[in-house]
Amino acid sequence: MRPSMTGLEISRRRQESIEFQSPFPSRSCFRSRSLMASAASAPSRAEVLSLFRSLLRTATKFTDYNVREYVRRRTIDGFRENWGLSDPSSIASAFADGRNQLEVAKRQVVVYSLYAPKIKNVMEIRSG
Amino acid sequence: MASAKHLSVLRRALPAGRLLSTAAASAAPLPVEDAAEDVISMKGVRISGRPLYLDMQATTPVDPRVLDAMLPFYLSRFGNPHSRTHLYGWESDAAVEAARSQVAALVGANPKEIFFTSGATESNNISVKGVMHFYRDKKRHVVTTQTEHKCVLDSCRHLQQEGFEVTYLPVGPDGLVDLDRLAAAIRPGTGLVSVMAVNNEIGVVQPLEEIGRICKEKGVPFHTDAAQALGKIPIDVEKMGIGLMSLSGHKIYGPKGVGALYLRRRPRIRVEPQMSGGGQERGIRSGTVPTPLVVGMGAACEIATKEMDYDGRRIAALQERLLNGIRSRLDGVVINGSVEHRYPGNLNLSFAYVEGESLLMGLKEVAVSSGSACTSASLEPSYVLRALGVDEDMAHTSIRFGIGRFTTEAEIDRAIELTVKQVEKLREMSPLYEMVKEGIDLKSIQWAQH
Repeated sequence: MRPSMTGLEISRRRQESIEFQSPFPSRSCFRSRSLMASAASAPSRAEVLSLFRSLLRTATKFTDYNVREYVRRRTIDGFRENWGLSDPSSIASAFADGRNQLEVAKRQVVVYSLYAPKIKNVMEIRSG
Repeated sequence: MASAKHLSVLRRALPAGRLLSTAAASAAPLPVEDAAEDVISMKGVRISGRPLYLDMQATTPVDPRVLDAMLPFYLSRFGNPHSRTHLYGWESDAAVEAARSQVAALVGANPKEIFFTSGATESNNISVKGVMHFYRDKKRHVVTTQTEHKCVLDSCRHLQQEGFEVTYLPVGPDGLVDLDRLAAAIRPGTGLVSVMAVNNEIGVVQPLEEIGRICKEKGVPFHTDAAQALGKIPIDVEKMGIGLMSLSGHKIYGPKGVGALYLRRRPRIRVEPQMSGGGQERGIRSGTVPTPLVVGMGAACEIATKEMDYDGRRIAALQERLLNGIRSRLDGVVINGSVEHRYPGNLNLSFAYVEGESLLMGLKEVAVSSGSACTSASLEPSYVLRALGVDEDMAHTSIRFGIGRFTTEAEIDRAIELTVKQVEKLREMSPLYEMVKEGIDLKSIQWAQH
Protein backbone atom coordinates (compact mmCIF):
# COMPACT_ATOMS: atom_id res chain seq x y z
CA MET A 1 0.00 0.00 0.00
CA ARG A 2 1.44 3.35 -1.04
CA PRO A 3 2.30 5.55 1.90
CA SER A 4 -0.04 8.50 1.96
CA MET A 5 2.69 10.81 3.29
CA THR A 6 4.04 11.47 -0.20
CA GLY A 7 0.78 12.92 -1.45
CA LEU A 8 0.43 15.17 1.58
CA GLU A 9 4.02 16.39 1.37
CA ILE A 10 3.53 17.44 -2.22
CA SER A 11 0.33 19.22 -1.32
CA ARG A 12 2.03 21.04 1.57
CA ARG A 13 4.73 22.41 -0.72
CA ARG A 14 2.14 23.51 -3.19
CA GLN A 15 0.17 25.34 -0.50
CA GLU A 16 2.97 27.87 -0.07
CA SER A 17 2.38 29.31 -3.51
CA ILE A 18 -1.28 29.98 -2.95
CA GLU A 19 -2.03 33.67 -2.57
CA PHE A 20 -5.38 34.76 -1.20
CA GLN A 21 -7.06 32.16 0.94
CA SER A 22 -10.44 32.38 -0.69
CA PRO A 23 -12.71 29.55 0.40
CA PHE A 24 -13.03 26.63 -1.85
CA PRO A 25 -15.91 24.59 -3.15
CA SER A 26 -17.40 21.75 -1.20
CA ARG A 27 -15.21 18.87 -0.29
CA SER A 28 -15.20 16.06 -2.76
CA CYS A 29 -13.98 12.57 -3.22
CA PHE A 30 -13.62 10.37 -6.19
CA ARG A 31 -12.37 7.04 -7.35
CA SER A 32 -9.76 7.17 -10.10
CA ARG A 33 -6.87 5.14 -11.34
CA SER A 34 -6.05 7.53 -14.16
CA LEU A 35 -2.51 8.91 -14.24
CA MET A 36 -3.35 11.99 -16.29
CA ALA A 37 -1.18 14.88 -15.13
CA SER A 38 -2.90 18.15 -14.34
CA ALA A 39 -1.78 20.99 -12.10
CA ALA A 40 -2.30 18.66 -9.16
CA SER A 41 -1.27 15.09 -9.85
CA ALA A 42 -4.10 12.62 -10.17
CA PRO A 43 -4.76 11.16 -6.74
CA SER A 44 -4.74 7.47 -5.98
CA ARG A 45 -7.39 5.72 -3.99
CA ALA A 46 -5.13 5.66 -1.00
CA GLU A 47 -4.58 9.40 -1.16
CA VAL A 48 -8.29 10.00 -1.36
CA LEU A 49 -9.01 7.83 1.63
CA SER A 50 -6.17 9.47 3.51
CA LEU A 51 -7.67 12.88 2.82
CA PHE A 52 -11.05 11.66 4.00
CA ARG A 53 -9.60 10.29 7.23
CA SER A 54 -7.55 13.43 7.82
CA LEU A 55 -10.61 15.61 7.46
CA LEU A 56 -12.59 13.49 9.89
CA ARG A 57 -9.70 13.43 12.35
CA THR A 58 -9.37 17.20 12.11
CA ALA A 59 -13.09 17.56 12.66
CA THR A 60 -12.90 15.86 16.04
CA LYS A 61 -10.33 18.39 17.22
CA PHE A 62 -12.65 21.41 17.00
CA THR A 63 -13.64 22.70 20.41
CA ASP A 64 -16.91 24.12 19.12
CA TYR A 65 -19.77 21.59 19.06
CA ASN A 66 -21.55 23.00 15.99
CA VAL A 67 -18.43 23.41 13.88
CA ARG A 68 -17.20 19.96 14.81
CA GLU A 69 -20.43 18.30 13.81
CA TYR A 70 -20.62 20.36 10.63
CA VAL A 71 -17.13 19.51 9.42
CA ARG A 72 -17.74 15.83 10.08
CA ARG A 73 -21.11 15.80 8.38
CA ARG A 74 -20.04 17.90 5.42
CA THR A 75 -17.00 15.73 4.80
CA ILE A 76 -19.02 12.54 4.77
CA ASP A 77 -21.77 14.01 2.60
CA GLY A 78 -19.31 15.71 0.28
CA PHE A 79 -17.27 12.58 -0.34
CA ARG A 80 -20.41 10.52 -0.80
CA GLU A 81 -21.78 13.05 -3.30
CA ASN A 82 -18.68 12.96 -5.47
CA TRP A 83 -18.02 9.26 -5.18
CA GLY A 84 -19.07 8.68 -8.77
CA LEU A 85 -16.86 11.30 -10.45
CA SER A 86 -15.00 9.86 -13.42
CA ASP A 87 -13.56 12.79 -15.38
CA PRO A 88 -9.86 13.00 -14.41
CA SER A 89 -9.51 16.78 -14.42
CA SER A 90 -12.56 17.30 -12.24
CA ILE A 91 -11.30 14.60 -9.93
CA ALA A 92 -7.92 16.27 -9.64
CA SER A 93 -9.45 19.67 -8.99
CA ALA A 94 -11.84 18.21 -6.45
CA PHE A 95 -8.92 16.57 -4.69
CA ALA A 96 -7.01 19.85 -4.64
CA ASP A 97 -10.05 21.57 -3.20
CA GLY A 98 -10.34 18.91 -0.55
CA ARG A 99 -6.73 19.37 0.42
CA ASN A 100 -7.15 23.13 0.66
CA GLN A 101 -10.18 22.60 2.86
CA LEU A 102 -8.08 20.36 5.07
CA GLU A 103 -5.50 23.11 5.48
CA VAL A 104 -8.24 25.62 6.35
CA ALA A 105 -9.68 23.19 8.88
CA LYS A 106 -6.31 22.58 10.51
CA ARG A 107 -5.69 26.29 10.94
CA GLN A 108 -9.15 26.90 12.31
CA VAL A 109 -8.84 24.10 14.83
CA VAL A 110 -5.97 26.05 16.36
CA VAL A 111 -7.81 29.37 16.29
CA TYR A 112 -10.99 27.97 17.82
CA SER A 113 -9.10 26.21 20.59
CA LEU A 114 -7.27 29.41 21.52
CA TYR A 115 -10.56 31.13 22.26
CA ALA A 116 -12.65 28.22 23.47
CA PRO A 117 -15.13 29.31 26.16
CA LYS A 118 -14.68 27.68 29.56
CA ILE A 119 -18.28 26.59 29.81
CA LYS A 120 -19.31 23.86 27.42
CA ASN A 121 -22.28 23.90 25.11
CA VAL A 122 -25.46 22.48 26.61
CA MET A 123 -25.40 19.74 23.98
CA GLU A 124 -22.08 18.47 25.28
CA ILE A 125 -22.98 18.43 28.96
CA ARG A 126 -25.69 15.95 29.60
CA SER A 127 -27.10 13.25 27.39
CA GLY A 128 -30.62 13.18 26.00
CA MET B 1 0.71 22.15 13.44
CA ALA B 2 0.68 22.72 17.21
CA SER B 3 -0.04 19.56 19.09
CA ALA B 4 -2.73 19.41 21.72
CA LYS B 5 -0.10 19.43 24.48
CA HIS B 6 1.41 22.69 23.23
CA LEU B 7 -2.00 24.24 22.97
CA SER B 8 -2.87 23.41 26.57
CA VAL B 9 0.42 24.96 27.69
CA LEU B 10 -0.44 28.06 25.68
CA ARG B 11 -3.87 28.25 27.19
CA ARG B 12 -2.55 27.98 30.74
CA ALA B 13 0.01 30.69 30.04
CA LEU B 14 -2.73 33.13 29.05
CA PRO B 15 -5.34 32.76 31.78
CA ALA B 16 -8.65 33.61 30.20
CA GLY B 17 -6.85 36.09 27.92
CA ARG B 18 -7.55 39.06 30.17
CA LEU B 19 -3.99 40.27 30.76
CA LEU B 20 -3.88 42.90 28.05
CA SER B 21 -5.82 46.09 28.54
CA THR B 22 -6.91 45.85 24.95
CA ALA B 23 -8.79 42.72 25.91
CA ALA B 24 -10.88 44.75 28.37
CA ALA B 25 -13.62 45.32 25.86
CA SER B 26 -14.08 41.64 25.30
CA ALA B 27 -14.01 40.96 29.05
CA ALA B 28 -16.72 43.47 29.92
CA PRO B 29 -20.17 41.84 29.69
CA LEU B 30 -19.11 38.23 30.20
CA PRO B 31 -21.33 35.99 32.28
CA VAL B 32 -20.11 34.98 35.69
CA GLU B 33 -18.59 31.61 34.89
CA ASP B 34 -18.27 29.57 38.03
CA ALA B 35 -15.75 27.06 36.78
CA ALA B 36 -16.12 24.89 39.86
CA GLU B 37 -19.81 24.29 39.28
CA ASP B 38 -19.87 24.84 35.53
CA VAL B 39 -22.85 27.14 35.82
CA ILE B 40 -23.44 30.44 34.06
CA SER B 41 -25.32 33.04 36.05
CA MET B 42 -26.43 36.11 34.17
CA LYS B 43 -29.44 38.41 34.45
CA GLY B 44 -30.82 36.30 37.24
CA VAL B 45 -30.77 33.12 35.20
CA ARG B 46 -28.65 30.10 35.97
CA ILE B 47 -27.91 27.63 33.18
CA SER B 48 -25.54 24.74 33.09
CA GLY B 49 -23.94 25.46 29.74
CA ARG B 50 -23.97 27.69 26.73
CA PRO B 51 -27.43 27.48 25.14
CA LEU B 52 -27.97 25.73 21.86
CA TYR B 53 -28.37 28.38 19.22
CA LEU B 54 -31.63 28.53 17.28
CA ASP B 55 -31.83 32.22 16.50
CA MET B 56 -30.31 32.35 13.03
CA GLN B 57 -32.46 35.30 11.94
CA ALA B 58 -30.91 37.51 14.59
CA THR B 59 -27.41 36.61 13.51
CA THR B 60 -25.40 33.62 12.40
CA PRO B 61 -22.08 32.24 13.63
CA VAL B 62 -19.10 33.09 11.45
CA ASP B 63 -18.20 30.13 9.24
CA PRO B 64 -14.64 28.92 9.96
CA ARG B 65 -13.82 29.23 6.26
CA VAL B 66 -14.87 32.87 6.36
CA LEU B 67 -12.74 33.52 9.43
CA ASP B 68 -9.82 31.87 7.68
CA ALA B 69 -10.21 34.23 4.74
CA MET B 70 -10.45 37.30 6.97
CA LEU B 71 -7.59 36.74 9.40
CA PRO B 72 -4.65 37.58 7.08
CA PHE B 73 -6.18 41.03 6.65
CA TYR B 74 -6.04 41.63 10.37
CA LEU B 75 -2.49 40.36 10.64
CA SER B 76 -0.05 41.20 7.88
CA ARG B 77 -2.20 42.47 5.01
CA PHE B 78 -3.63 45.38 6.92
CA GLY B 79 -3.40 48.04 4.21
CA ASN B 80 -6.03 50.58 3.28
CA PRO B 81 -7.52 49.62 -0.07
CA HIS B 82 -7.53 53.24 -1.17
CA SER B 83 -3.76 53.64 -0.78
CA ARG B 84 -2.52 53.81 -4.33
CA THR B 85 1.20 53.91 -3.81
CA HIS B 86 2.34 50.71 -2.13
CA LEU B 87 1.86 46.96 -1.93
CA TYR B 88 -0.32 47.13 1.17
CA GLY B 89 -2.87 49.23 -0.67
CA TRP B 90 -2.69 47.21 -3.86
CA GLU B 91 -3.19 43.83 -2.26
CA SER B 92 -5.99 45.20 -0.09
CA ASP B 93 -7.71 46.69 -3.12
CA ALA B 94 -7.33 43.43 -5.04
CA ALA B 95 -8.97 41.59 -2.14
CA VAL B 96 -11.88 44.06 -2.04
CA GLU B 97 -12.46 43.70 -5.76
CA ALA B 98 -12.32 39.92 -5.52
CA ALA B 99 -14.89 40.05 -2.73
CA ARG B 100 -17.06 42.33 -4.83
CA SER B 101 -17.18 39.77 -7.64
CA GLN B 102 -18.00 37.02 -5.17
CA VAL B 103 -20.99 38.98 -3.87
CA ALA B 104 -22.06 39.90 -7.40
CA ALA B 105 -21.88 36.27 -8.53
CA LEU B 106 -24.31 35.19 -5.83
CA VAL B 107 -27.03 37.55 -7.04
CA GLY B 108 -26.33 37.52 -10.77
CA ALA B 109 -25.10 41.09 -10.90
CA ASN B 110 -22.13 42.88 -12.37
CA PRO B 111 -19.42 43.65 -9.79
CA LYS B 112 -19.67 47.33 -10.71
CA GLU B 113 -23.20 47.28 -9.31
CA ILE B 114 -22.18 46.22 -5.79
CA PHE B 115 -21.29 48.82 -3.16
CA PHE B 116 -20.10 47.88 0.30
CA THR B 117 -21.77 49.50 3.29
CA SER B 118 -21.84 48.94 7.02
CA GLY B 119 -24.84 46.66 6.86
CA ALA B 120 -28.30 46.15 5.49
CA THR B 121 -29.65 49.00 7.63
CA GLU B 122 -27.33 51.47 5.95
CA SER B 123 -28.13 49.99 2.54
CA ASN B 124 -31.85 50.37 3.25
CA ASN B 125 -31.32 53.98 4.27
CA ILE B 126 -29.38 54.72 1.10
CA SER B 127 -32.00 52.99 -1.00
CA VAL B 128 -35.09 54.61 0.45
CA LYS B 129 -33.87 58.07 1.38
CA GLY B 130 -31.19 58.27 -1.28
CA VAL B 131 -33.47 57.45 -4.21
CA MET B 132 -36.29 59.70 -3.07
CA HIS B 133 -34.00 62.61 -2.34
CA PHE B 134 -32.38 62.31 -5.74
CA TYR B 135 -35.71 62.37 -7.55
CA ARG B 136 -37.39 64.73 -5.09
CA ASP B 137 -38.56 67.16 -7.74
CA LYS B 138 -40.50 64.65 -9.77
CA LYS B 139 -41.33 61.72 -7.49
CA ARG B 140 -42.99 62.21 -4.12
CA HIS B 141 -44.53 58.82 -3.34
CA VAL B 142 -43.21 55.55 -1.94
CA VAL B 143 -45.00 52.20 -1.76
CA THR B 144 -43.97 49.71 0.88
CA THR B 145 -45.56 47.07 3.13
CA GLN B 146 -46.48 46.98 6.78
CA THR B 147 -44.18 44.07 7.51
CA GLU B 148 -40.92 45.68 6.39
CA HIS B 149 -37.91 45.84 8.63
CA LYS B 150 -37.79 48.70 11.10
CA CYS B 151 -35.07 50.56 9.19
CA VAL B 152 -37.19 50.73 6.03
CA LEU B 153 -40.28 51.83 7.96
CA ASP B 154 -38.28 54.40 9.88
CA SER B 155 -36.73 55.77 6.69
CA CYS B 156 -40.22 56.07 5.23
CA ARG B 157 -41.40 57.89 8.32
CA HIS B 158 -38.45 60.23 7.96
CA LEU B 159 -39.49 60.89 4.37
CA GLN B 160 -43.06 61.53 5.49
CA GLN B 161 -41.79 64.19 7.85
CA GLU B 162 -40.04 65.79 4.91
CA GLY B 163 -43.28 65.92 2.99
CA PHE B 164 -43.23 62.76 0.89
CA GLU B 165 -46.20 60.43 0.76
CA VAL B 166 -45.90 56.80 1.75
CA THR B 167 -48.37 53.98 1.20
CA TYR B 168 -48.00 51.10 3.65
CA LEU B 169 -49.64 48.12 1.97
CA PRO B 170 -51.35 45.64 4.26
CA VAL B 171 -50.52 41.95 4.00
CA GLY B 172 -52.82 38.98 4.10
CA PRO B 173 -53.01 36.60 7.05
CA ASP B 174 -50.36 34.54 5.32
CA GLY B 175 -47.99 37.49 5.24
CA LEU B 176 -47.96 37.85 1.47
CA VAL B 177 -48.55 41.18 -0.20
CA ASP B 178 -51.55 41.43 -2.53
CA LEU B 179 -50.22 42.03 -6.04
CA ASP B 180 -53.37 43.76 -7.28
CA ARG B 181 -53.31 46.23 -4.41
CA LEU B 182 -49.65 46.82 -5.07
CA ALA B 183 -50.29 47.57 -8.76
CA ALA B 184 -53.19 49.83 -7.82
CA ALA B 185 -51.12 51.74 -5.30
CA ILE B 186 -48.44 52.71 -7.81
CA ARG B 187 -49.04 56.18 -9.23
CA PRO B 188 -47.25 58.31 -11.80
CA GLY B 189 -45.51 60.08 -8.93
CA THR B 190 -44.21 56.88 -7.29
CA GLY B 191 -40.46 56.92 -6.95
CA LEU B 192 -39.82 53.59 -5.22
CA VAL B 193 -41.46 50.30 -4.33
CA SER B 194 -39.87 48.53 -1.39
CA VAL B 195 -40.84 44.97 -0.47
CA MET B 196 -38.55 42.71 1.52
CA ALA B 197 -37.64 39.35 0.06
CA VAL B 198 -37.78 37.15 3.16
CA ASN B 199 -39.30 38.48 6.35
CA ASN B 200 -37.02 38.21 9.34
CA GLU B 201 -39.80 37.51 11.84
CA ILE B 202 -42.10 35.09 10.05
CA GLY B 203 -39.91 33.84 7.23
CA VAL B 204 -42.43 34.51 4.50
CA VAL B 205 -41.00 34.79 0.97
CA GLN B 206 -42.65 37.47 -1.14
CA PRO B 207 -43.31 36.86 -4.87
CA LEU B 208 -40.31 38.88 -6.07
CA GLU B 209 -40.59 38.01 -9.74
CA GLU B 210 -44.18 39.16 -9.99
CA ILE B 211 -43.50 42.35 -8.06
CA GLY B 212 -40.47 43.03 -10.24
CA ARG B 213 -42.57 42.55 -13.34
CA ILE B 214 -45.24 44.97 -12.11
CA CYS B 215 -42.64 47.57 -11.24
CA LYS B 216 -40.93 47.19 -14.59
CA GLU B 217 -44.21 47.67 -16.42
CA LYS B 218 -44.89 50.83 -14.49
CA GLY B 219 -41.31 52.06 -14.70
CA VAL B 220 -40.77 52.28 -10.95
CA PRO B 221 -37.53 51.14 -9.28
CA PHE B 222 -38.00 48.01 -7.17
CA HIS B 223 -36.05 47.86 -3.95
CA THR B 224 -35.90 44.71 -1.88
CA ASP B 225 -34.34 44.10 1.51
CA ALA B 226 -32.67 40.76 0.86
CA ALA B 227 -30.75 40.54 4.12
CA GLN B 228 -32.48 37.31 5.17
CA ALA B 229 -32.80 35.98 1.63
CA LEU B 230 -29.20 36.19 0.44
CA GLY B 231 -27.62 32.81 0.04
CA LYS B 232 -30.80 31.04 1.11
CA ILE B 233 -33.18 31.45 -1.80
CA PRO B 234 -31.80 31.89 -5.32
CA ILE B 235 -31.75 35.56 -6.24
CA ASP B 236 -31.33 36.77 -9.81
CA VAL B 237 -31.57 40.52 -10.20
CA GLU B 238 -32.34 40.22 -13.90
CA LYS B 239 -35.13 37.68 -13.57
CA MET B 240 -36.65 39.48 -10.62
CA GLY B 241 -36.35 42.95 -12.08
CA ILE B 242 -34.66 44.26 -8.95
CA GLY B 243 -33.37 47.82 -9.06
CA LEU B 244 -31.89 48.11 -5.59
CA MET B 245 -31.11 45.44 -3.04
CA SER B 246 -29.82 45.52 0.51
CA LEU B 247 -27.54 42.71 1.61
CA SER B 248 -26.20 41.85 5.02
CA GLY B 249 -23.02 40.03 5.94
CA HIS B 250 -23.86 38.57 9.31
CA LYS B 251 -26.96 36.70 8.17
CA ILE B 252 -24.97 34.45 5.83
CA TYR B 253 -22.30 33.29 8.23
CA GLY B 254 -20.14 36.32 7.61
CA PRO B 255 -18.87 39.03 9.94
CA LYS B 256 -20.99 41.71 11.55
CA GLY B 257 -20.57 45.31 10.48
CA VAL B 258 -20.61 44.83 6.74
CA GLY B 259 -23.29 44.75 4.11
CA ALA B 260 -23.73 45.64 0.50
CA LEU B 261 -26.04 47.56 -1.75
CA TYR B 262 -26.89 46.42 -5.25
CA LEU B 263 -27.62 49.36 -7.53
CA ARG B 264 -28.71 48.67 -11.06
CA ARG B 265 -26.71 50.23 -13.90
CA ARG B 266 -29.00 49.50 -16.84
CA PRO B 267 -31.28 51.41 -16.53
CA ARG B 268 -29.16 53.44 -14.12
CA ILE B 269 -30.69 54.16 -10.75
CA ARG B 270 -29.24 57.22 -9.08
CA VAL B 271 -29.07 57.83 -5.35
CA GLU B 272 -28.03 60.71 -3.21
CA PRO B 273 -25.24 59.52 -0.94
CA GLN B 274 -25.96 59.49 2.80
CA MET B 275 -22.28 59.56 3.79
CA SER B 276 -20.24 62.52 2.58
CA GLY B 277 -16.52 62.17 2.32
CA GLY B 278 -13.70 61.16 0.03
CA GLY B 279 -15.89 59.66 -2.68
CA GLN B 280 -15.05 56.01 -2.05
CA GLU B 281 -17.30 53.35 -3.59
CA ARG B 282 -17.91 55.62 -6.60
CA GLY B 283 -19.25 58.36 -4.38
CA ILE B 284 -22.16 56.23 -3.23
CA ARG B 285 -20.68 55.50 0.18
CA SER B 286 -17.66 57.40 1.39
CA GLY B 287 -15.41 55.99 4.04
CA THR B 288 -12.57 53.50 4.08
CA VAL B 289 -13.79 50.14 2.92
CA PRO B 290 -13.10 47.69 5.77
CA THR B 291 -11.05 45.11 3.94
CA PRO B 292 -11.24 42.22 6.43
CA LEU B 293 -15.01 42.55 6.77
CA VAL B 294 -15.52 42.86 3.04
CA VAL B 295 -13.29 39.87 2.35
CA GLY B 296 -15.32 37.97 4.93
CA MET B 297 -18.56 38.89 3.25
CA GLY B 298 -17.17 37.85 -0.13
CA ALA B 299 -16.02 34.55 1.27
CA ALA B 300 -19.40 33.99 2.88
CA CYS B 301 -21.13 34.68 -0.43
CA GLU B 302 -18.87 32.29 -2.29
CA ILE B 303 -19.54 29.56 0.24
CA ALA B 304 -23.26 30.28 0.00
CA THR B 305 -23.16 29.97 -3.78
CA LYS B 306 -21.77 26.48 -3.44
CA GLU B 307 -23.67 25.32 -0.39
CA MET B 308 -27.12 26.73 -1.11
CA ASP B 309 -28.60 23.47 -2.34
CA TYR B 310 -27.07 21.29 0.32
CA ASP B 311 -27.99 23.68 3.12
CA GLY B 312 -31.47 24.23 1.70
CA ARG B 313 -32.30 20.53 1.66
CA ARG B 314 -30.91 19.93 5.08
CA ILE B 315 -32.64 22.89 6.67
CA ALA B 316 -35.96 21.94 5.12
CA ALA B 317 -35.62 18.45 6.61
CA LEU B 318 -34.74 19.90 10.01
CA GLN B 319 -37.73 22.21 9.92
CA GLU B 320 -40.01 19.24 9.20
CA ARG B 321 -38.47 17.39 12.09
CA LEU B 322 -39.00 20.32 14.43
CA LEU B 323 -42.56 20.94 13.35
CA ASN B 324 -43.58 17.29 13.48
CA GLY B 325 -41.84 16.80 16.79
CA ILE B 326 -43.73 19.66 18.39
CA ARG B 327 -47.07 19.06 16.72
CA SER B 328 -47.12 15.37 17.54
CA ARG B 329 -46.96 16.16 21.25
CA LEU B 330 -48.81 19.44 21.54
CA ASP B 331 -52.05 20.82 20.23
CA GLY B 332 -52.89 24.45 19.81
CA VAL B 333 -49.72 25.19 17.85
CA VAL B 334 -50.14 27.76 15.09
CA ILE B 335 -47.60 28.65 12.43
CA ASN B 336 -47.51 32.38 11.79
CA GLY B 337 -47.25 33.20 8.14
CA SER B 338 -47.67 31.23 4.95
CA VAL B 339 -46.54 27.62 5.08
CA GLU B 340 -45.90 27.23 1.35
CA HIS B 341 -44.15 30.54 0.66
CA ARG B 342 -41.69 30.30 3.49
CA TYR B 343 -37.99 30.05 3.94
CA PRO B 344 -37.60 26.75 5.84
CA GLY B 345 -35.02 28.05 8.26
CA ASN B 346 -37.48 30.39 9.93
CA LEU B 347 -40.29 28.85 11.95
CA ASN B 348 -42.50 31.20 13.91
CA LEU B 349 -44.91 29.33 16.18
CA SER B 350 -47.59 30.49 18.56
CA PHE B 351 -48.66 28.26 21.44
CA ALA B 352 -52.22 28.79 22.59
CA TYR B 353 -53.06 29.26 26.28
CA VAL B 354 -49.45 29.89 27.19
CA GLU B 355 -47.99 33.17 28.32
CA GLY B 356 -45.06 34.25 26.16
CA GLU B 357 -42.67 35.70 28.71
CA SER B 358 -42.92 32.70 31.01
CA LEU B 359 -42.42 30.37 28.07
CA LEU B 360 -39.22 32.16 27.16
CA MET B 361 -38.03 32.22 30.77
CA GLY B 362 -38.28 28.46 30.85
CA LEU B 363 -36.43 28.01 27.57
CA LYS B 364 -33.10 29.38 28.68
CA GLU B 365 -31.12 26.44 27.37
CA VAL B 366 -32.33 27.17 23.86
CA ALA B 367 -31.43 30.50 22.33
CA VAL B 368 -34.58 31.56 20.55
CA SER B 369 -36.35 34.80 20.02
CA SER B 370 -39.93 35.80 20.59
CA GLY B 371 -42.15 37.64 18.19
CA SER B 372 -41.64 40.95 19.89
CA ALA B 373 -37.99 40.90 20.88
CA CYS B 374 -36.33 42.25 17.80
CA THR B 375 -38.64 45.17 17.36
CA SER B 376 -38.69 46.92 20.68
CA ALA B 377 -37.65 46.61 24.26
CA SER B 378 -41.22 47.00 25.39
CA LEU B 379 -43.70 44.18 25.77
CA GLU B 380 -45.67 45.38 22.81
CA PRO B 381 -46.38 42.51 20.45
CA SER B 382 -44.57 42.64 17.18
CA TYR B 383 -46.02 44.88 14.48
CA VAL B 384 -45.44 42.14 11.94
CA LEU B 385 -47.70 39.72 13.78
CA ARG B 386 -50.23 42.46 14.25
CA ALA B 387 -50.18 43.13 10.50
CA LEU B 388 -50.92 39.45 9.94
CA GLY B 389 -54.01 39.83 12.07
CA VAL B 390 -52.78 37.51 14.82
CA ASP B 391 -54.69 37.88 18.09
CA GLU B 392 -52.79 39.69 20.82
CA ASP B 393 -52.64 36.70 23.12
CA MET B 394 -51.26 34.48 20.34
CA ALA B 395 -48.82 37.18 19.28
CA HIS B 396 -47.44 37.25 22.81
CA THR B 397 -46.71 33.53 22.82
CA SER B 398 -44.92 33.44 19.50
CA ILE B 399 -41.50 31.87 19.36
CA ARG B 400 -39.20 32.11 16.37
CA PHE B 401 -36.96 29.11 15.74
CA GLY B 402 -34.07 29.85 13.41
CA ILE B 403 -32.40 26.83 11.81
CA GLY B 404 -29.09 27.21 10.01
CA ARG B 405 -26.14 25.52 8.39
CA PHE B 406 -24.63 24.40 11.67
CA THR B 407 -27.79 23.14 13.35
CA THR B 408 -27.75 19.44 14.17
CA GLU B 409 -30.55 16.91 14.51
CA ALA B 410 -29.66 16.47 18.15
CA GLU B 411 -30.18 20.18 18.75
CA ILE B 412 -33.59 20.05 17.11
CA ASP B 413 -34.58 17.08 19.24
CA ARG B 414 -33.41 18.80 22.40
CA ALA B 415 -35.28 21.97 21.44
CA ILE B 416 -38.46 19.96 20.85
CA GLU B 417 -38.03 18.28 24.24
CA LEU B 418 -37.50 21.52 26.11
CA THR B 419 -40.28 23.41 24.33
CA VAL B 420 -42.85 20.66 24.79
CA LYS B 421 -41.96 20.22 28.45
CA GLN B 422 -42.21 23.92 29.16
CA VAL B 423 -45.48 24.38 27.29
CA GLU B 424 -47.04 21.38 29.04
CA LYS B 425 -45.86 22.68 32.39
CA LEU B 426 -47.37 26.09 31.77
CA ARG B 427 -50.61 24.67 30.47
CA GLU B 428 -50.94 22.44 33.55
CA MET B 429 -50.86 25.55 35.67
CA SER B 430 -53.21 27.51 33.46
CA PRO B 431 -56.84 27.82 34.56
CA LEU B 432 -57.76 29.01 31.08
CA TYR B 433 -56.50 25.77 29.63
CA GLU B 434 -58.55 23.81 32.13
CA MET B 435 -61.64 25.63 30.95
CA VAL B 436 -60.77 24.94 27.33
CA LYS B 437 -60.36 21.25 28.08
CA GLU B 438 -63.80 21.23 29.63
CA GLY B 439 -65.10 22.53 26.35
CA ILE B 440 -65.81 26.15 27.28
CA ASP B 441 -65.29 28.63 24.48
CA LEU B 442 -63.08 31.35 25.90
CA LYS B 443 -64.43 34.02 23.62
CA SER B 444 -67.96 33.52 24.91
CA ILE B 445 -67.09 34.19 28.53
CA GLN B 446 -68.54 37.26 30.14
CA TRP B 447 -65.82 38.40 32.48
CA ALA B 448 -67.25 40.05 35.59
CA GLN B 449 -66.41 43.71 35.85
CA HIS B 450 -65.84 45.00 39.34
